[in-house]
Amino acid sequence: MSPKEEIYTRHAAKGSDRGKILAEMMNAEGKPEVLDDILVLDVSSANFAGIICASFLAEFGAEVIKIEPADGDPARQITPFGVTVQGVGIPFMFEGRNKRYMTLDIKNNPEDRKVFAKLAKKAAVVIESFAPGEMDGWGIGYRQLSVDNPGLVYIALSAYGQYTDKAKESANMPDTDITSQAGSGLPAQMGGTPNEPEPKNWPLRGGMWAGWYVSGLSAALGGTVALIHRQNTGQGQMVDVAGMDAYSSMVGMPATIGFTWEKARPRIGVLDFILYPYGHWKCKDGFVAIAAPRDHDFRALLKILGLWEQEDDWRYSSDRIPDILEQALHLHKIIEEKTLQFTSDELVKMALNYSKRSARSKWRGGGVPIVMKLMTPEEAMKNKQWQIRKAFQEVEDEKLGKYTISANFVKMSESPPRVKWVSSEIGKDNEYISKKYLND
Amino acid sequence: MEDYFSYTAKLFNPDEASQKPEALKGIRVLDFSHVIFGPIAARLLADYGAEVIKLELPFYGDLWRPATYWGKYWKHSNPIWHNITKNKYFLSVNLQLKQSKELIYKMAEEADVVIENFAPGTADAWGIGYEKISQINPKIVFLSCSTYGQFGPMRYFPGWDLLAQGASGVLTLNGYPDTDIYYKLPDYVGDFVPGNFGALAILMALYHRKKTGKGQYIDMAQTEGLMRLLYHYTYHSVTKEAIGRTGNTDPTMMPASIFKTADDKFLALACATADQFKNFAGAIGKAEWATDPRFASTLERLKPENAKALTAMAVDWVKSQSCADIVKLADEKGFPAAEVADDYSIAYDEWRRKRGSVVLFKDDVYGNLVIAGPSAQLSGTPSRTKWLARPLGYHNRLVLKKFLGMSEEEIQDLEKKKVIGTFDDRPGLKPPVYYNLSEDPIYNYGKEVRK
Repeated sequence: MSPKEEIYTRHAAKGSDRGKILAEMMNAEGKPEVLDDILVLDVSSANFAGIICASFLAEFGAEVIKIEPADGDPARQITPFGVTVQGVGIPFMFEGRNKRYMTLDIKNNPEDRKVFAKLAKKAAVVIESFAPGEMDGWGIGYRQLSVDNPGLVYIALSAYGQYTDKAKESANMPDTDITSQAGSGLPAQMGGTPNEPEPKNWPLRGGMWAGWYVSGLSAALGGTVALIHRQNTGQGQMVDVAGMDAYSSMVGMPATIGFTWEKARPRIGVLDFILYPYGHWKCKDGFVAIAAPRDHDFRALLKILGLWEQEDDWRYSSDRIPDILEQALHLHKIIEEKTLQFTSDELVKMALNYSKRSARSKWRGGGVPIVMKLMTPEEAMKNKQWQIRKAFQEVEDEKLGKYTISANFVKMSESPPRVKWVSSEIGKDNEYISKKYLND
Repeated sequence: MEDYFSYTAKLFNPDEASQKPEALKGIRVLDFSHVIFGPIAARLLADYGAEVIKLELPFYGDLWRPATYWGKYWKHSNPIWHNITKNKYFLSVNLQLKQSKELIYKMAEEADVVIENFAPGTADAWGIGYEKISQINPKIVFLSCSTYGQFGPMRYFPGWDLLAQGASGVLTLNGYPDTDIYYKLPDYVGDFVPGNFGALAILMALYHRKKTGKGQYIDMAQTEGLMRLLYHYTYHSVTKEAIGRTGNTDPTMMPASIFKTADDKFLALACATADQFKNFAGAIGKAEWATDPRFASTLERLKPENAKALTAMAVDWVKSQSCADIVKLADEKGFPAAEVADDYSIAYDEWRRKRGSVVLFKDDVYGNLVIAGPSAQLSGTPSRTKWLARPLGYHNRLVLKKFLGMSEEEIQDLEKKKVIGTFDDRPGLKPPVYYNLSEDPIYNYGKEVRK
């Protein structure tokens, strides 16, 4: 254990094999893949929640066939500022992990539906995002496919789900990230305080696909629960994810607060409802994130910033919850005046040195204020921590060339997920698939 | 053929959900974790039928028990903590004592999963890490949650959701360009998303164990979980540029923004594809937009100069319409639109209650509480709520008697030695003031209860 590790863990483990255990976690190559017996058909259309769900299963070793019409899934063109590499959008390249590509036009071509039905007999998982009831109307929905394949796990993604009157009434409404964010309550909690000028005080969207990724992850999680049930009993089932409630259901706060408060929370800008200080501040050379919410962390922060004179002010020392916004914003300013005098490196070092002393003292009241340099995604890519952990991987697509993705999102000692290849070419594996699955 | 929605109404009928089988029945989880990241992974397993035993320190408990929004309690409990720790068994054990560790080791013999989120190395130093537990039970699936991972030079840094958002780059993506304000994603989503990833990894490990008989160690770093959500890295590696902050406009679709309507409501409206855009343009009487060379093709429409022009036109149109009218039109014509939902509408929307994504739950201890349902509905083995969070040490007797076969005398001895304990008078730890625990058959499991 390094001296730095001692700072926070406080107890040294003696004679441990931990280093060996961890060293074996650093690589995925050669280890077994969990879902190597699972065939997944992804027919989602213009819906990244479906594509993302399929990616997770592919990273855990499933054979995933992305099925799209000859002119490609419109998702290929859902890309920032219209940037593509040879017509393939950035998010589609990013999610093009370990997949096979097959062309079938199940929307328009009844013959192709038959081919799909034949494939679906051999599949463990189907992922689709057509309007609820549309696949069923074509004779290839869960109701029909499960007759021949009772073990099928059928994952459907939509705006309002597959059942209830509302789902029927709004069946035509496509699911997108921003409408999923809005419908499930994320933007209501982001953005400037009510007294700021418009539009800064409006609800604000999360600047990444918080809706689609939450839906895709929920679908993969629900789908894997269904696969475990299938492994135990042979029984399949339907998994239904609705973009309009994916986020609120994952975090749970909105429903319970709406009920217990009998009103909605206001937007409180950069502050937090529970913890303070818990946010980011300007410093000499950029921004730092600071978390020092527990009382002893907060006092430690006051000490290192030279703000100890605030300690006996009850408004800050014992009542920092920002339900009186002016009060919290005032404290925010007081802290900012100090952070502006230092660089991010200096602030990080000050917090570390303090924590070191406090952890080594018998009197543990010292607290652990956490200060971090705020990083953009581009800066994060250069961080040594992620290089060592192989969190970023340079991949090469036969047609599109080299690019970087974030990968290996969880390390596992026996059967880790991994990215084996990336590809995006429409119909690239038609022959492979028909040979392997459609020959009988 | 039966109407699709009448078929699915039966398939998913929420009234029957509690009688359906549970996919994770028989899986036992020891949950050493605290706050949100680890506990949410454990709760997801509990929702699908696993027996989750949550360990907390007597008279102290999980740090998050008293951490409630703006300090507002509900019946002496933290309302949002019910969602984070429902369906669990609450056992309160003093980890510092040798006897407590023996209890944990005994439980580990029969357990399938362990979850912890102490600073990396701490669980091992305390003798409850993977190394020790896997010696007792080699088939164990052991999840360690942390902000930066179990190895690497930053491993020793403690963290919160905020730090994961700050270290991954997520935080710097939210807000308006050319300002010096960033907004963090709300509701500790930087804990919930990695918690879901952790649960996914456990499920995969359980699937693998069934095939091979092998347990394993899982290292889930919340920053890496968040990094998995950003195609921004790929954008940078291809273009050498940064997407940065784009305010309320999603640069991947056009239009795609949050707008203000004629009746001062906020509405998200998007067109991800050429078809959706055609539907939208036709619906608002601007069919010519769909043939305008600037807008007809999706990739042209996304070019910044065209996107700017189209967004301005969409702003003007939305400003002239009521929110309800736009949503109705969107339903009919098939383009994406949604009013920005807030806490109150989410708690009371009728369709969410019918769907079961928001549930009015009647609890034996706390009475009625509205809580969130699952974000994925399963027709065969649905997620469900069986009970809400419980006071500290509420299930001490049940766990020790039912799962460890201990006698009342042995338990009283543990109580005397302060190996196990319960709550003190602090809100978040104690039961509601009206609730008489001495009459509760679960709290007094295996004892005579006078009603």
